[in-house]
Amino acid sequence: MDSRNFARDSLTHLPTVAATIDSVRKDIQARGELVVLYFNFDRYAKIEDIYGWEKLDALLETTAAAMRAFVKESNLTLSQLMVANPHDDDFVLFHIPEKDVSAASEADITELTIRLQERITRDVESEHGESIAALAETYVGRSHVYYNPKIRLERQIYRAMREAAAASKSLEAREIAIKLSDLRDTLRARSIYIDYHPIISADTGKVFGYEALARGIMKSMRSPEVMFDIASQSDLIWDLSRLCRAKAVEGMKDHLSEGQLLFMNVDPHDFTDPAFTEAELAVPDPSRVVIEITERTAIKDYPKFRERLQAFRDMGYRFAVDDAGSGYAGLGSIANLEPDFIKLDISLINCIDANFIKQNLVETMVKFANDQGAQVIAEGVERGEEFEVVKQLGVHLIQGFFLHKPGTHGFVPIHPRGGEPKQTVTHLSR
Amino acid sequence: METNSIASRTQILVVDDNPDNAHIIRDYLEARGYPIAVAYDGEEAMALFEKVQPLVVLLDVMMPGKDGWQVCRDMKLHPTLGKKIRVIMVTALDDWMNKRQALQTGADDYVEKPFELAKLAATVERNIAMLKVPA
Repeated sequence: MDSRNFARDSLTHLPTVAATIDSVRKDIQARGELVVLYFNFDRYAKIEDIYGWEKLDALLETTAAAMRAFVKESNLTLSQLMVANPHDDDFVLFHIPEKDVSAASEADITELTIRLQERITRDVESEHGESIAALAETYVGRSHVYYNPKIRLERQIYRAMREAAAASKSLEAREIAIKLSDLRDTLRARSIYIDYHPIISADTGKVFGYEALARGIMKSMRSPEVMFDIASQSDLIWDLSRLCRAKAVEGMKDHLSEGQLLFMNVDPHDFTDPAFTEAELAVPDPSRVVIEITERTAIKDYPKFRERLQAFRDMGYRFAVDDAGSGYAGLGSIANLEPDFIKLDISLINCIDANFIKQNLVETMVKFANDQGAQVIAEGVERGEEFEVVKQLGVHLIQGFFLHKPGTHGFVPIHPRGGEPKQTVTHLSR
Repeated sequence: METNSIASRTQILVVDDNPDNAHIIRDYLEARGYPIAVAYDGEEAMALFEKVQPLVVLLDVMMPGKDGWQVCRDMKLHPTLGKKIRVIMVTALDDWMNKRQALQTGADDYVEKPFELAKLAATVERNIAMLKVPA
């Protein structure tokens, strides 16, 4: 690729820092100051890992568009928006006070930052939904440069960028400490609720079962990914998993009709938790519970793990391999677990209608599942085109916002094939 | 014929370091009405890519220097042309992991090597259908 392509980010069409300095040089010299705001989107890498790069690209485009629109609407005529590095996911705003403003005050910068963060969150949520927005957390670090004619401007700016990036990291660390405290409160008060997300049969369109998705009642704990991330960093994963399992099973009688199955996420690490036993779950009919095990976590002691699975299986529990095909394990490893269900990795479903390699992979998985006597579930189906393609490829069960949107009274069908779920959300008081 | 008029406006870039392979593909697709450009390595492919602005690229993977995966990535990241093209890898993507890696480069489709010409044409056609070229 030639050097011109490193002056501008191909995705967002924003310039890079190096390409911007010349265009702001005169304004910085004239105004005597520059505020560097560094936007660190903490969990964008996680979004790429879960949903695939196409989703992250779309999110970065939304983010850049929101920031660009904000700068324009706010009449920040001297300010410049750019990417920290081409093809990466951090953004930088050079803020130079307008000519009628005497100097950039800390209060003004704080207010500007908050409004810009709110704008990004609003646009990301409206275009990509609440789950993605909950993961798209922004930490904005700042650094103030007072122009010194004795030091080359480039060096002053790069130094300020490093300071702003470090400041954004320390904000992130402080936020993690606050979230850890929120998680401890959540565990003590058992303040989580379960979203029962419908899974429909591709053939009949009827609700086949529900996946239990645990969410914290506190706003900071709304995203299960964030909640579990914090728990795993602080050795609270077993405590959180126990609470989520108990809540999911408790809600079965109110949310599931006869014959419908409960799909429950269990981390392979949970199998080493002495409290996670066949008896702990206390399900009257274990054959109605499907334990989902993600392919993403490496299983260290395979024989022991299989032994534990068998004990659950003997009681009647069924198993699903979650995130199958994400690339962590081959088909052989999936076969070893002898799953009853294979849940395809979401990144394979996103835009599957436009990608024939994804279609080939899903077709391979369906054939493999049929040979193994398992059923394939496509989750994350968000568009009609994706729905039609996965159905044509022979996927047995389908889950996603194309069929049911989360609403205040649970997941409501938005497509005729979306079945008729029961009231599916319980908000439990502390 | 409508398909011919679409074909005549669908520039295809064939990239293969083996001239015999490249010419077989070129001759076969030219006979079906497609305008074809041929490049014999990754560097030449990138230069021709900007010059002829193809809508479909047939890309061999094993090439000396810049391999097909790198060329695919560069084409897909191109600031103005990257989003408009369909890239078909010409390779034996024989296992799951290879196909996963192909997805990471932005590839849209593949034809197995050694290829059957009829299958190659069908693959080109289904990718042209995704371009939504106005009739």
